[in-house]
Amino acid sequence: MFKLNLKIALRNLWKNKTSSFINVIGLAIGLAACLMLLLYVSYEWNFDKQAKKSKDVYIVMTHITDDFGKDIFTFDGTPTSLSSTISSGIPEIEFVSRVSYDQNLLIANGENSFKKTAKFADADFIKMYDFEFLSGDEKTALLKPGSVILTQSMAQTLFGTTQVIDRTVRFQDKTDLKITGVVKDAPSNSSNKFDYLLPWSEYGKVDKAADDLSWGNYSFNTLVRLTENANILDVDNKMDRLVKGKAKWNHSPFFLFPLSKLHLFGKFENGKSVGGDIDQIWLFMGLAFGILLIACINFMNMATAKSEKRAKEVGIKKTIGATRKSLILQFLTESMVLTLLSIFIAIILVEGALPTFGNLLNISLNISFVEIKSWLAILGIVFFTGLIAGSYPAFYLSSFNPIQTLKRKIKSRGFLSINLRQVLIIGQFCFAIMLIISTIVIYKQIQFIKDKPVGIDVNALVDMPLEGELKEKFDLLKTNLLNSGAVSSVAQSSISLLHHGRNFSGLEWQGMSKAQNSILFNQVGTAYDFIKTSGLKLISGRDFSPQYSSDTVSVLISSAAAKIMELKNPIGSVLKFNKTDVTVIGVFEDYAWDSPYNANNPMIVYFNKDNSENVTMRLNPKQSLQENVSVIEKITKEINPAYPVQLNFVSSSYDKLLRKEKTLGILSNLFGGLAIFVSCLGLFGLVAYSAEQRTKEFGVRKVLGASVASLMQLLSLSFIKMIGVAIVIAIPISYYAMGKWLNNFEFHTEITWWIMPLAAISTLLMALITVSFQAYKTAKANPVDALKYE
Amino acid sequence: MIELKNIEKYYSSKGIKHYVLRHVTTTIKQGEFVSIMGPSGSGKSTLLNILGMLEEPTYGTFEFLGEDVTSLNERKRIELYRNHIGFVFQAYHLIDEMTVYENIEAPLLYKKVGSSERASRIANLLDKFNIVAKKDLFPNQLSGGQQQLVGIARALATQPSIILADEPTGNLQSAQAEEIMQLFQKLNKEEGITIIQVTHSEKNATYGNRILNIQDGVIKEDSPTQAPQMGGVV
Ligand SMILES: Nc1ncnc2c1ncn2[C@@H]1O[C@H](COP(=O)(O)OP(=O)(O)OP(=O)(O)O)[C@@H](O)[C@H]1O
Ligand SMILES: [Mg+2]
Repeated sequence: MFKLNLKIALRNLWKNKTSSFINVIGLAIGLAACLMLLLYVSYEWNFDKQAKKSKDVYIVMTHITDDFGKDIFTFDGTPTSLSSTISSGIPEIEFVSRVSYDQNLLIANGENSFKKTAKFADADFIKMYDFEFLSGDEKTALLKPGSVILTQSMAQTLFGTTQVIDRTVRFQDKTDLKITGVVKDAPSNSSNKFDYLLPWSEYGKVDKAADDLSWGNYSFNTLVRLTENANILDVDNKMDRLVKGKAKWNHSPFFLFPLSKLHLFGKFENGKSVGGDIDQIWLFMGLAFGILLIACINFMNMATAKSEKRAKEVGIKKTIGATRKSLILQFLTESMVLTLLSIFIAIILVEGALPTFGNLLNISLNISFVEIKSWLAILGIVFFTGLIAGSYPAFYLSSFNPIQTLKRKIKSRGFLSINLRQVLIIGQFCFAIMLIISTIVIYKQIQFIKDKPVGIDVNALVDMPLEGELKEKFDLLKTNLLNSGAVSSVAQSSISLLHHGRNFSGLEWQGMSKAQNSILFNQVGTAYDFIKTSGLKLISGRDFSPQYSSDTVSVLISSAAAKIMELKNPIGSVLKFNKTDVTVIGVFEDYAWDSPYNANNPMIVYFNKDNSENVTMRLNPKQSLQENVSVIEKITKEINPAYPVQLNFVSSSYDKLLRKEKTLGILSNLFGGLAIFVSCLGLFGLVAYSAEQRTKEFGVRKVLGASVASLMQLLSLSFIKMIGVAIVIAIPISYYAMGKWLNNFEFHTEITWWIMPLAAISTLLMALITVSFQAYKTAKANPVDALKYE
Repeated sequence: MIELKNIEKYYSSKGIKHYVLRHVTTTIKQGEFVSIMGPSGSGKSTLLNILGMLEEPTYGTFEFLGEDVTSLNERKRIELYRNHIGFVFQAYHLIDEMTVYENIEAPLLYKKVGSSERASRIANLLDKFNIVAKKDLFPNQLSGGQQQLVGIARALATQPSIILADEPTGNLQSAQAEEIMQLFQKLNKEEGITIIQVTHSEKNATYGNRILNIQDGVIKEDSPTQAPQMGGVV
């Protein structure tokens, strides 16, 4: 039976080319979209989950509250002392290690020098994960000071080979390190990715704070691995007891959080995870299955359109001994065959589109065809799709009573079938219209943020790290750059203009409501020409200037800071900063330095020539960009030959802050387009089928004198009405949903009235074109042909 | 083999009962060839459908092969279709997507007959009905008479003990109709298959050996046929 069913399914596919084509192409697009999104979802979902014991690896989080226990924020920074404090006395902790945030540092083999991602960690770090050592002894690799572990690709880049054990690399143009191990590169979806790994003891050479055992500097991660099935609450409590005496807290701010969850559930409120990027994952899952469902609906609609014919078939087969089960199997065979055919096309489509798609999202995705898991997943999707697509004929039609279907005068259109079809079409177009509206709103929001004044003129701003020789010779650099004419102004600072950094320590002002400040201030150390270079607008006062020797104990504050400190007359006010009295000499307008979506924290700019990490330059607008850049590169390289020059455009950093929303925009645009296309494809199929069914009727009507226009109306009006209903349903839903989405942003655009008619009219137009094309063809046909046809 | 006792069938609309069959009581024995006749709308098809268990009577009992089948579940009914009953329809009702061969094969597949047995039975039927050359054609490539031959071959494939035919020649020319009737007669005579047919044609009725005349849902006359029975080879 199965063989015959299969044969007939294939024969039907071949015979009804139009509807097969529509079904297969629609399903293939739906499946391809679904596969791509699922690939992306699985990439995100598997973040930090590759290692065998990854679920036992936790990161210590710090929950900062104010004096009254009110939530301030939660982050993954911890002080250096924590790890040694909890390393003994908590039996559940197998391994504990301090780990640095990613550091982009210089590593060289002779002339071959690169800035690559370095990480510093304690020896236990190696044991937490199953790093695959290509060479070297994993037990001792991270023990000795002066050692380094390279990844395979790092070794290749530096030496052209991975046989590099015991060779030396030069680090930061200062120290020679001995290579003690080469490990396989970590997958790109892991947060502990590095190009080279150094023992913690080396960290002090880059950041002195790393050498101190302190409870005050939260610039380091602490990772632990627990024994299997350890109770986290117990561990948290034990940690609490160990930490309590050490610092002045009433209770410990530390708690454990699974590292593998941080990526997707990294949004915290009150020290509890309240989601995060997982929301986006749900959204993408919804999109993936939404598109697939649209394609399945096409299939179902074609099936319901043909249900009259199929019902008769069911009736006949039942009288010759077919059971319901065998009929269900037959219908499912048909849809499975179709889905299988579609998945092959889908895989080809995915293979073709994946590189571009990956580029758009800035990650590399690929289907690993060698893994059984991916095949199982694909088969699962095929099965699921085939089942959904085939469910209507399989379960509904097969239940028909033979006599109903065989009687000559069976109601030509089942009440239920036409209704179901309408509902499905309306649902399809609802989804498509909602996607169009979302796309427009998302783009509008991105545009709104882009157009919002950031407070500084970022277009001619570049910055680069202040490192190596540059630190010592900053004044020479500044003079040379200014003399060259490539830049109009240069300033040094502790951090770049755009960064995620906030701090509430060390600041006091008069009339402060509490003994200790609990408001986060962005603190930037700088020297001369900060305002001039950045282009910040001074509201009152002046920039730092060498003319005033007292400027070394002066500060600039943002207008938000002035407001918070309630300074009536800010200029000349005296604040306490790091235990020193400092005078406010200038107030500048706020600018977006962290997130372009929210009002940023207040900012204080203090004078410090010695801890600068960054150079900001304003390019000379009179010269071409290339010229300026090459001059800067040349001058910098001369002074600091060991380091590659890393010029960064501040405007591109701003663009990066919009990445997440851009991704969302791209995806909803892409998949919205696909949804509309597949929906219209289905509509086309239905109109084509109904036109074919009514060829004779149309012939008769034409002979009786009906006009082409009236025939077209006859054929397309009901479809257009359905789109109308879809519009009416979709608009309020998307208005509500997008309103909610926009409310996530403190600064957001409005949903203007024209978006709705725009989406509605464009959808209607597309549907109209689809329908009329076929309707016109049918209506124009020669009546004689139509009547002869019977 | 068939016992109908006091079968009634009505449709109610707006509270009024429209009787289609009233007090139908009759017995049909194995090997009979019965023709049901009567004016249009008198309930012939309804009676045949009840005999074929496609419809249930409102009242009365129906025994088939000594078993009460008045209301059967789908599984048992399909069991009977597979083993005992063959249907022949006025509109042929072949499956358009299947070739002649496959149409005849389908009931055997449902009955799970082994492949060699299947092949020999189909070959036999194709041969008997002279349609070997047509076996790979689709129904829409055949004439009405040829389609009905295939329909009958399909009904016979499972070697049923009874064939129910509702106006099997209703769509055919008289020459083709005659051919079908002779075939029925031969099947009835030579293989002992019970045949019940609905027909409007007096002439077709004479091929059988008993006529049930129905008017307004009531059996008005139940008589053996007297007309000389025409022999002949198909
Ligand atoms: N589903 C139904 N609902 C209401 N009335 C019905 C239904 N099916 C059949 N009837 C009625 O039952 C009566 C008998 O129908 P039936 O099909 O048995 O007639 P028939 O004798 O076969 O006629 P014909 O020779 O035209 O085929 C008719 O009057 C018909 O209108
Ligand atoms: Mg009838």
